[in-house]
Amino acid sequence: MGRRWAVVAGQELRDLWLGGRALLLLLAFSVLASAITYVGATSEGINFLEKRETVNLTLQVAVMFGALIALLVAADAISGERERGTLESLLLTPVPRRDLVSGKLVAALSVWFAALVVAVPYLWFLGRDVGAVDDAVLAGLLVGTLVAVSLAALGMLVSVLAASNRVSLSASLFVLLALFAPTLLPGGAKQGWAGELLQRVNPMTAAEHYMRNVVISQYEWTKELSWLVSPIVASVLLVALAVLVAPRFISLRGGAPE
Amino acid sequence: MKLEAHGLRKNYGALVALDDLTFEAGAGEVVGLLGPNGAGKTTAIRVLTTILAPSAGTFTVAGVPHTRPAEVRRRVGVLPESAGYPGQQTGAEFLRYHARLFGHSRASAASTAAALLDRVGLAERGSTPVSTYSRGMRQRLGIARALVNDPEVVFFDEPTLGLDPAGQRQVLALIAAVARERGATVLLSTHFLGEVEEACARVLILNRGRVVAAGTVAEVTRRAAAPRRGRFRVPAEERPRALEVLARVPGLGAPQALDGRPDWLLASLEGAEVADAVRALADADVPLLGFEQEGARLSDAFLSMTEDE
Repeated sequence: MGRRWAVVAGQELRDLWLGGRALLLLLAFSVLASAITYVGATSEGINFLEKRETVNLTLQVAVMFGALIALLVAADAISGERERGTLESLLLTPVPRRDLVSGKLVAALSVWFAALVVAVPYLWFLGRDVGAVDDAVLAGLLVGTLVAVSLAALGMLVSVLAASNRVSLSASLFVLLALFAPTLLPGGAKQGWAGELLQRVNPMTAAEHYMRNVVISQYEWTKELSWLVSPIVASVLLVALAVLVAPRFISLRGGAPE
Repeated sequence: MKLEAHGLRKNYGALVALDDLTFEAGAGEVVGLLGPNGAGKTTAIRVLTTILAPSAGTFTVAGVPHTRPAEVRRRVGVLPESAGYPGQQTGAEFLRYHARLFGHSRASAASTAAALLDRVGLAERGSTPVSTYSRGMRQRLGIARALVNDPEVVFFDEPTLGLDPAGQRQVLALIAAVARERGATVLLSTHFLGEVEEACARVLILNRGRVVAAGTVAEVTRRAAAPRRGRFRVPAEERPRALEVLARVPGLGAPQALDGRPDWLLASLEGAEVADAVRALADADVPLLGFEQEGARLSDAFLSMTEDE
């Protein structure tokens, strides 16, 4: 009786993986990772990055892609059920709404972990000569998971509140792009106390900074741990909001409670 | 009583969707919920199934008050209006999942799903994806889903909408069986008056969120105060004599010939018994070839109670 979230998660995982949706997205990711690895490993002209930088690039892509998929799956979780007319049947069961959200969140996060697993062979291939494999995989597992959890919880929050699935998906994507955009800024824009503050406050840029330090600069894991404050705070806060607060707002129409 | 509602009210902002809904229903009883579009039928069902919180009033399901929604949900089964189904799941998988959500073990969920699929005539299609089901099959799957928790009260919201006559008949037969075989209380919301006359012991007519009539079909029809008139068919050559005979029946309104139909007479039945008029014709040896009563059907009552002022 107390593990209804596991029943929900189990069904969501079956729908996601056996239904082929997650496999298709992972296939797309593996094609992208293959292209990066091929270019990074073989092209003399473009291979200007240090091997560790190539490993870091592949890891960043894995984190971004995995987190993106987790976000999209979560953003579809409630608003998609609502749009497909299946939400009412779920709400008519005695399962607490918190368990519905938790189960769906777990299923969404499975895509991130699968993306990381897919990325491991590429990271090994690129980083085996420079001893960067362990650092990259561990950094991906720890920091990437914080990012993925934050984004999946964010997607779930939006999905609960959005009046339509389209609004949910587009709002989630917009937030994701807004958070990731600063990682593409040139180094100069990140200088100074204001630039560093912005990087530290944004959980995505802070996570990227920490992973780069570990994978490229070979910092100790304990060095500059303060960069993980915002990813940890974001993941805890967003999960708490998604699991503890959002379920109260689940309604058949979305938006404001009925 | 299995289902009791007292003064239920549901507001959406300033809009009153449901106002002072009060009724009760016993075990094995099929109650029809009638009303035009926007009358509040679906809102009533959503309130009674805890999907929506009432703005005022109370209700109990099998003695469980609405303040314990999870407990209420354990005791109700619902076929929602326009229910969606996950197309990629098989019928059996869909039912197993919902059975698990109601607390069944894996094995119990599997056996419950198999039994229900068999009960609704989908045993042979249980392992195929729901996306391949016809609308009628989906409705039957929805009925099976509504029964996974062996509910004491079952709500059907427009269950035959969009079905062909054969599908409608199948679904209605299943609904009747739910009440008869399981002893469940059934609340059937529908637009089709014939369904209510056929399947329901009692009827509630809603209009603009309020109950405008409640009782057995006969009671509601009588209360509708629709003018009752009788049409008597007699041989054309007997019409003058029939007019004389009917004019002498106490309480019968002035009989008159129907224009263009020489073998029909029309008379108000407001103050008379039909039997008296028929007996008078028989005593006078006037052959009665046919009789029709106007204003005594549920549809007449429905229209008179729900037509906009």
